[in-house]
Amino acid sequence: MREGPTPTDPSGLSTAVRHALGWLLFGNAVGIYLSVLLLDPGWQLGAWTYGRWVPVHLNVQLFGWTSLPLVAWLFSIYQVDRSRLAAWGPAAVWAWSAALAIGVLDWLGGQTSGKIFLDWKSGALWAFTAAQVILWAVLAAAWRERSAYWPQLRRAATLAGLGGLALVPFSLVFAASPKVYPPIDQTTGGPTGSSLQGSALIVVGLMLLLPRVAALCKDSRRRPGIWIFFALSWIVFGVTEAMGGTHHDPHQIFSMLFLLPWVWWLPRDWRRFEWPEGSVAWRGAMFGWWGMLVVTSLAMYRVGVLDRIKFTQALVAHSHMAMAGFTTSFCALLIVLVTRRRMGPPSSVALWHGAAFAMVLVLAAMGWMEGAHPSWMLASPAWRELGLLVRTACGALMIGASLLWYLERRKS
Amino acid sequence: MRTAAARASLAVAGVYGFFLIFAQFAFVELLRGAGVGLGGEKAVLGLMAVAGIAGGFLIAWRGASPCGIRLSLMAAALAPEATAFPAALGVALVTGLALGMATVGLAALLPAWAGVAWVGLGTGLGYAACNLPFVFQQAPAIQSWIGAGFALAGCLAVPTSREWLPQETRKIFPVWAAILIFTALVWMDSAAFFIIQHSEDLKSGTWGEGHLWRNAAVHLLLAMAAGFWLSREGARSLPAVAWVLLAVAALAVNHDASRGVAAWFYPAGVSLYSAALVAWPGWFSGASNPRGAAWRAAWLFAIAGWFGSANGIGMAQTLQRVPPVFIATAGAGVIGVMILTRRKSLRPALAVGVVALVAVLARGGPASTAPAPSSAAERGRRVYIAEGCIHCHSRYSRPGSPDEAIWGPSHGAEETLKGEPVLIGNRRQGPDLSNIGARRSEAWLKVHFLDPRALVPDSPMPSYAHLFEDGRGDDLVRYLKESGVESIPVLMETAANWQPAASSGSPAEGKALYANHCSACHGGLGGGNGPLSHHFARKPANLLKGPFIWTHPDGNPELRLRVARVIKFGIPGTDMPGHETLTDRDILTLTDHVLGLRR
Repeated sequence: MREGPTPTDPSGLSTAVRHALGWLLFGNAVGIYLSVLLLDPGWQLGAWTYGRWVPVHLNVQLFGWTSLPLVAWLFSIYQVDRSRLAAWGPAAVWAWSAALAIGVLDWLGGQTSGKIFLDWKSGALWAFTAAQVILWAVLAAAWRERSAYWPQLRRAATLAGLGGLALVPFSLVFAASPKVYPPIDQTTGGPTGSSLQGSALIVVGLMLLLPRVAALCKDSRRRPGIWIFFALSWIVFGVTEAMGGTHHDPHQIFSMLFLLPWVWWLPRDWRRFEWPEGSVAWRGAMFGWWGMLVVTSLAMYRVGVLDRIKFTQALVAHSHMAMAGFTTSFCALLIVLVTRRRMGPPSSVALWHGAAFAMVLVLAAMGWMEGAHPSWMLASPAWRELGLLVRTACGALMIGASLLWYLERRKS
Repeated sequence: MRTAAARASLAVAGVYGFFLIFAQFAFVELLRGAGVGLGGEKAVLGLMAVAGIAGGFLIAWRGASPCGIRLSLMAAALAPEATAFPAALGVALVTGLALGMATVGLAALLPAWAGVAWVGLGTGLGYAACNLPFVFQQAPAIQSWIGAGFALAGCLAVPTSREWLPQETRKIFPVWAAILIFTALVWMDSAAFFIIQHSEDLKSGTWGEGHLWRNAAVHLLLAMAAGFWLSREGARSLPAVAWVLLAVAALAVNHDASRGVAAWFYPAGVSLYSAALVAWPGWFSGASNPRGAAWRAAWLFAIAGWFGSANGIGMAQTLQRVPPVFIATAGAGVIGVMILTRRKSLRPALAVGVVALVAVLARGGPASTAPAPSSAAERGRRVYIAEGCIHCHSRYSRPGSPDEAIWGPSHGAEETLKGEPVLIGNRRQGPDLSNIGARRSEAWLKVHFLDPRALVPDSPMPSYAHLFEDGRGDDLVRYLKESGVESIPVLMETAANWQPAASSGSPAEGKALYANHCSACHGGLGGGNGPLSHHFARKPANLLKGPFIWTHPDGNPELRLRVARVIKFGIPGTDMPGHETLTDRDILTLTDHVLGLRR
């Protein structure tokens, strides 16, 4: 075995980026296949029915496309590629992808925990846990070697990060258990306002962290206000989550309102940093989607509106706004930051967002109609199929864009 | 140069055409037509395979030449002599030798005549020609003459120049890796081919009337795309894509509902890898001269071509299907080899191995080997989870919302959250199922699972007929039947209190609604003899006679309302389902049509 990487070896970081884009391409292909299945179930492949492909689509987008750029970010933070263990970086990524591939085969084979986005079960669950342990070991080994050269604050923060990351496999095993389920809004059967606030705050935390870790600060003045409000938001979340309730309850609406300032505050905070070339389009798109997400979340949480759109295509529209719009922009930006290279030609970026926006609009319109009468999807097959056809076309354009991104990275 | 390239391309087409139409189709049929038994057939085909391998190694040893290729193709034109035993043995020997020599010779000399894109064109032309209806549908005797014609055309097309162009060769995969990859692909191709060929409905669904022109076009386009792709440095990833296409086709042929999918993917996958198979020895094996390329081709075609094909057919003969584990093994072979030959470090393979080992060990652990529950409903619940029903169906009728009027009463969050896992769902592509046991009978549910669109036109739900092959479907039906069955009194009360808030539509609308929602069970004219009526123990009502004989179509509005309520909510405890998704106007329109049937 060689001790370190040779110039021809791929780095862990670039491997993570390539795999992330590969999973994005695959996840999009599955997504378009799902659209086709809704249009014509005759395209079903044997026992691999729509219900078995959905977890593949969801989990590949979450644990492949969304997670692997974060893994690349971790490689960058812990300087894995500059350590003697650099050659283990790609190995950790391959282990991650292998676990996800095992998951895909399991979900297609009907092995699922039955929990959306947490379908891990049996062999796939422990394989994914093993992959996380391998990744953690690589990060820990890199920290041990590289932290000697870092300032005290960074050493402590990254050590605390390692501590937090060590909990992730346990959290996953716990959360995937069929015995656990979060509180629900009893009137709709969906998440409570505070649950939505909590998950959004994790994203806010990542957005606060990203520029401080990956970009250059051009303004050294301390602004504690943003951190105080962040902490206060978490306190509000904790209290309202413990109280429970529905979207009719003022305290649940109050907790959701705590998200609104972030629409303005985060872009303002990011302006204090110097950003690399090629990131402006993704940053703009990310904040555009972020603003839409927060504002529409608040609008959709209103009494009368949430009651109308629950279980409809409008919530699918919102999920796509979150994943295809915001999360994709965030991940792409992350890739630009850690690799210092652009993510696709500008036309492909515009194509992606245009198609995603059109898809969201069509799904939202379908959801609104469906909400007026819960059987609209069944009773209006022509409109349903037209909507799904537009969705499929948008998906095809998005696949085209993601293929370009993948090929561009593969060439390098 | 361009003339030589075009001629080389036609030579490839001729060899492929001869191989496909004669060796794969006509020869076997001629043997069977002549009364040769299974043992004799195996002996003849075995002899052809041995001769093919020998021919390949012979030309590699003696050196490939245009003259040798031409002579072998002329010998192949003896095909029409294969009329009976023992002449068939001689033809098998000669055509096997000829095929072995021609394929290896061509693969070795092609870079002297053409760019790799021309190989794709030649492959596509060969496949397309064999799929043309007036070739494919001929009697075997005529097909053997057509095969001879392909061989002679190929013979005339072989160019004369022998200039080797070493600058175009690259080493993509070492010999062992290429052999493994192509063996896996040929194996899958042959197994799927055998199954399609030996099942009448599959054959008509893939190579039947009307599909042949499409197949020819798919073959031609994909093989050309393969040639283009190979010329653009896509040689590494092409086998993986071919595997994906063949895997989809192989999975799809196993089930009735998806056989149409196989008809597209099978020719696409075959064309992709077939072009690569011809191109690898000359362009991508690292051979620096025709002799080196010929030796590589001889080994590749002997093992991947002849051996892989025989094994694929043998497996399909034994199992009569393509098991998913076999597809996964072939995929692991193709992708594993691609990874192993690319990575200089073995660490990724080691890490993947660790993860795979953990998965295997965990799968055999105590939690995974727990016995299946004894109750059919509990087993059915597991099927519900495994099939991902939650992705289309909620199990939560929201309290105080319009849900309750359509999907039945709410059971409250506490009751719903008791499940492990909670099956509340988050999206409705179909109806809510929390009260399905009160709204539908077991017989109705089973018919719907078998063919959803037979009962609900335009339904996006796929067929789950395969679940009834091993009892899972019956368990699932039992589980659903027990879901919310206690709501029957509430549903009956809701029905009794329901007052439609609209006037009815036109008779034409009523007729269309009846055709869509009623005729499958009650028959087109209402006689209770619809195409699905035989599925129900108690026949659907004869609407021409009863049970509405006591109503008067124009008279009593109360009786009209009772019929409307039956249509809207069904009759709980019987096979008569409700039509909860129809609007009040549609219900009244349908009511008037149904009542009018007796007139």
